[in-house]
Amino acid sequence: MLADEQLRAAPRFPNFQPKAKHNIFLFQVGGPSQLDMFDPKPMLLKHAGERPNTVNLRTERTTGGLLPSPFTFKKYGQSGIEVSELLPNLAASIDDICVIRSMYTFNPTHTPARSLFHTGNIAATRPSMGAWISYGLGTENQNLPGFVVLTPGQGSGSLARAGFLPAKHQGTFFDDSVSEPDKMIRYLQNKQLEKQPQRRQLDLIQALNREHENTFGEDEFLEGRIQAMETAYRMQFEAMDVFDLGKESPEMREEYGKTPFANGCLLARRLVERGVRTVHIYYGPGQPWDDHSHIDKNLRQRCPDMDKASAALIRDLKQRGLLDETLVVWGGEFGRTPVSESGDGRDHNPYGFTMWLAGGGVKGGMVYGATDEFGFQAVENRVSIHDLHATALHTMGIDHEQLTYRYAGRDFRLTDVYGEVVKDILV
Amino acid sequence: MKVWVLFAALVAPLGAQSPGVELFEKEIRPLLVNKCYGCHSSKLKTPMGGLALDTKSGTQRVTGKLLGAVRYNDPQLRMPPTGRLPDTQIAAFEKWIALGAPDPRQDTAAAAPVTKAMDVETGRKWWAFQPLRGAPKGSIDSFILAKLKENKLKPSPVVDRRTLVQRAYLDLTGLRPSYEETEAFVADRAPGAYAHLIERLLASPHYGERWGRYWLDVARYGEDNPTSEATNPPYPFAWRYRDWVIEAVNQDVPYDRFVKLQLAADMMPDAKHLDLRALGYLGAAPIYHKDARLSKEVIETLYTDDWDERVDTVSRGLLGLTVACARCHDHKFDPILTKDYYSLAGVFASTVAAPRPLNEVDPETETRFAWAAQRLFFLSYVANLMRNEPGSKPEEAAAKSERYAEEVDKVKEGMAFLKADHPEMYAYLDQIGKRPRAPGAAPVAAAAGGQQRRRAGPSDAPFINAVFDAGLWVDGSDADLTTIEVKPGVARDLHILPHANVSAPGALAPRQFLTVLSKADTTFHQGSGRLELANRIFSDAGPLTARVIVNRVWAWHFGKPLVATASDFGTQGEKPTHPELLDDLSARFVANGWSLKWLHREIMLSAAYRQASHPREDGTRIDPTNRLLWRMNPRRLDIEAYRDSLLAASGDLDQTVYGLSVDLDAAENNRRTVYGRVSRGRLNTVLALYDFPDATMTSPARDLTTTPLQQLFVMNSQFIQDRAVALVKIVENEPDKIRAMYHRVLLRDPTPKEIDLGASYVNGSALAEYAQAILSTNEVIFWP
Repeated sequence: MLADEQLRAAPRFPNFQPKAKHNIFLFQVGGPSQLDMFDPKPMLLKHAGERPNTVNLRTERTTGGLLPSPFTFKKYGQSGIEVSELLPNLAASIDDICVIRSMYTFNPTHTPARSLFHTGNIAATRPSMGAWISYGLGTENQNLPGFVVLTPGQGSGSLARAGFLPAKHQGTFFDDSVSEPDKMIRYLQNKQLEKQPQRRQLDLIQALNREHENTFGEDEFLEGRIQAMETAYRMQFEAMDVFDLGKESPEMREEYGKTPFANGCLLARRLVERGVRTVHIYYGPGQPWDDHSHIDKNLRQRCPDMDKASAALIRDLKQRGLLDETLVVWGGEFGRTPVSESGDGRDHNPYGFTMWLAGGGVKGGMVYGATDEFGFQAVENRVSIHDLHATALHTMGIDHEQLTYRYAGRDFRLTDVYGEVVKDILV
Repeated sequence: MKVWVLFAALVAPLGAQSPGVELFEKEIRPLLVNKCYGCHSSKLKTPMGGLALDTKSGTQRVTGKLLGAVRYNDPQLRMPPTGRLPDTQIAAFEKWIALGAPDPRQDTAAAAPVTKAMDVETGRKWWAFQPLRGAPKGSIDSFILAKLKENKLKPSPVVDRRTLVQRAYLDLTGLRPSYEETEAFVADRAPGAYAHLIERLLASPHYGERWGRYWLDVARYGEDNPTSEATNPPYPFAWRYRDWVIEAVNQDVPYDRFVKLQLAADMMPDAKHLDLRALGYLGAAPIYHKDARLSKEVIETLYTDDWDERVDTVSRGLLGLTVACARCHDHKFDPILTKDYYSLAGVFASTVAAPRPLNEVDPETETRFAWAAQRLFFLSYVANLMRNEPGSKPEEAAAKSERYAEEVDKVKEGMAFLKADHPEMYAYLDQIGKRPRAPGAAPVAAAAGGQQRRRAGPSDAPFINAVFDAGLWVDGSDADLTTIEVKPGVARDLHILPHANVSAPGALAPRQFLTVLSKADTTFHQGSGRLELANRIFSDAGPLTARVIVNRVWAWHFGKPLVATASDFGTQGEKPTHPELLDDLSARFVANGWSLKWLHREIMLSAAYRQASHPREDGTRIDPTNRLLWRMNPRRLDIEAYRDSLLAASGDLDQTVYGLSVDLDAAENNRRTVYGRVSRGRLNTVLALYDFPDATMTSPARDLTTTPLQQLFVMNSQFIQDRAVALVKIVENEPDKIRAMYHRVLLRDPTPKEIDLGASYVNGSALAEYAQAILSTNEVIFWP
């Protein structure tokens, strides 16, 4: 009956000529501080320690006065966009990046905000954007999952779930803290049989399956499983190849770095090269960007690897001519407050934060939107998380209002009843 | 600059646009397109509020309300809901309306709106709400044959006995018969052999394991929450609910009583104490984390989300109605009012989750225990929160923490009387109600303790995850800490919340049953109203409820339901393929005491059920999806039957009935799959691979996908390799090992061709590799 529901849903996609065929989300778990990376606010220094009324917004925790950024900003590239000293590599690529400084979302707590980021809803039950895209566009490579999530350790399924969409659209998790493919993917390798003996065994299975189907009669499931076994057999080798970072040159590995996040970025490039539709990379484990205290020290430790790998990904995609057809999105579930927490940290801030996009038909070297003078609230050209979803779908050739699924009596959308495509940032 | 533009417009020559129209084109139309069409367009299948602002007529209808809505004056009507427009755009609307709202658009007939919701009076005539009409001489086969005949189709012949016995076993117990049992049935030509087989299987304890699991899909059974944080840790006793379901199904507890116990066992005078385990249906429901530092509005919203889940699970699961669609507005299609939604939600706002003791104690002690358990949990949470994360006002936070810690002591003191007769109950409370550690004293250990609680596995301590009657209120008077108040025995009626906005409550919605299904005043008076709700589901809504469960049971037997949308019997759902059959079977099901075992017999003894599933040229041509049931539906096994079959074939299956959940990946976990731990946040890989439903919401049916990742499990997992090795061991003393394996796995002799294939394979590969190949074949995972 799910098939029946599906039948009644959804026109064909793409609705129009897409710019992007793939999308990569660099998800900075915990909520990175826009004020120390992409959204300079000199006023913080001028009013340091004060607590004007305009910053009296309720966040998760009790906060104090305004906390200036300990980092300096400079203009980079032809576009002259200001970027913090923490991010020299992204600064060098800034002309390929569209910085949205006016993001906002609707919840100041990690879990619901993360759900919003991935599914457009605070309840942790709705389908992830990656699942929606897989449902809308299908996959380009039958030997690999259409929606891949790379995260150190064993990922939690909640952000990559298919929800009410057919289960095959759910994200498949791979552990990017190891570099051996067979440790990344469960059941990928046969530990007992080499390639040839395994082929011989599969030939026997398929011969028996053919015998059975001859006796039973033609059947969709029986045929489907015969095909799926062949695909699985090939997938073992294709995945071993695509997930094997040893196939990259030492120079390339060096360019990205060798941290889990860097592995994730490099794997993402290898995956989209082979037709995987959606790759999400979680900067983890846990929620590292949750800097409630010691923001100075923490960001100095954490930024270099993120900066290096993200910028390498953009450069690498560009060199291979893949950037135009790959939308890269960077951001966390929210940003951080201009007011301090615990003296030298920042609290969660859903009212205004920064995300950036690159490639996939999005303009480079552009700043879109602005926060108020202290960087607390988005005030100009505000972009909600729903707008971001609508825009990301748009680059993939999907009208977010058309991407619906009939479930529990109504048509659901990734953007619910919200969402506007941010046309100004599109090429 | 603006003045000049305006001036230019004013002096424009005749024939050009009037200033009002120009204003419309320049400012208003783009605003409507960008801000309103998303929800209010005739192009949408269901424009919100039936309002199409892409039509002139639609727009004219609301010009009176438009300004109030965009100015955000009216808390109940703020548009656009995503945020107030900038003042300049609001000013544009003001000017346009002042000019008389000129609108150059021409409505075409096609653009005219719009679907209207069915009103309640019309709704009462909806087919699914009608009394059940039994046929004079009802039988499944007469209805099926009549439809087939209409479509010039014949039924398929009865399946061979070897297949039939497998079908009956798998269907009723989720396990295949042994080779010997198969042979015995094939040889048994007595006229009552098949009926006798069904009786035997219905009496097996494995029957409850199979059919209880179906129910657990509908009840979205899980043992933890979608996320596990400080306020929503796992449910260590949820497995007792699962065991209760299996037990009740085995005992053929009538379906009406089965459901009533799950909603209100604590309110039913004739319920046995152990039946309180049934309350896990509500007591182990998914909930979200509520960080006490969030504002009152956010916390309220999170609670309304929890109640929404309950409304959805009860209405779709039991009634086949999508009542949750009426949360923000009256249902767009079905005769369900927003008021109805909040009337039901109020029942769950008056029902609080808390552990209860497994052992019988007097009701007053039991209620006090439940209250104390949830109270201690909350107090200890906020005391820890204030202690560990004091924020920028540490002194205040420390004082608060101390105050809550003192309250912890006080609540425990009040419960100290338990120490004498029920030490285990006191110990449980003591363990929940921990004072926060002194600041500086081993914070690492404290954090580890918190982690442990969040990841706690199932426990066999004598408690159940249940609910008790108490109203819940959110208190926002402390700006830094939002608290909750739980009042035992006090019910809470909710206000209607248009657009689900907790900040703009509307009229009060007293707790009562759905208007369209109510025959008289159905206001609930008894506590939360859970029992009254349960009773109404079987009295006023009895015919609907019967149709819904009969349709589900039919689907679980045949692989496809009569009403394709098994959890939506509303106007957006499918109509039944065989309405008279559904009515007749439901009527007789009710007449036979809502007995599921009666229903199984009725279905399985029918000729329709015993048909072969082979494809037929005429059938696939005339009715390719087999709606008319010209054959049994071929399909694959679900993961429970598949995994259990593999374990049984290799002789490893642990057939112990009931007990603690164990992770399916745990080494040597050879228990039946139904006893595997079900996590809502981190579902076991194999379950996820094989379409196990998301346990955060009631599941109408399982998808049965066939994917490459499933085949990797079959080809490469340790689980399959272990089965293969064990299978070889079983046959090691057999003279004909290939034949012995066929007996064991496929319950039949191999064909000469299969013997040839096997013999030439084994001549070159290890026997275990051959065993794995046999276990991997389609036949093993194919419904007989």
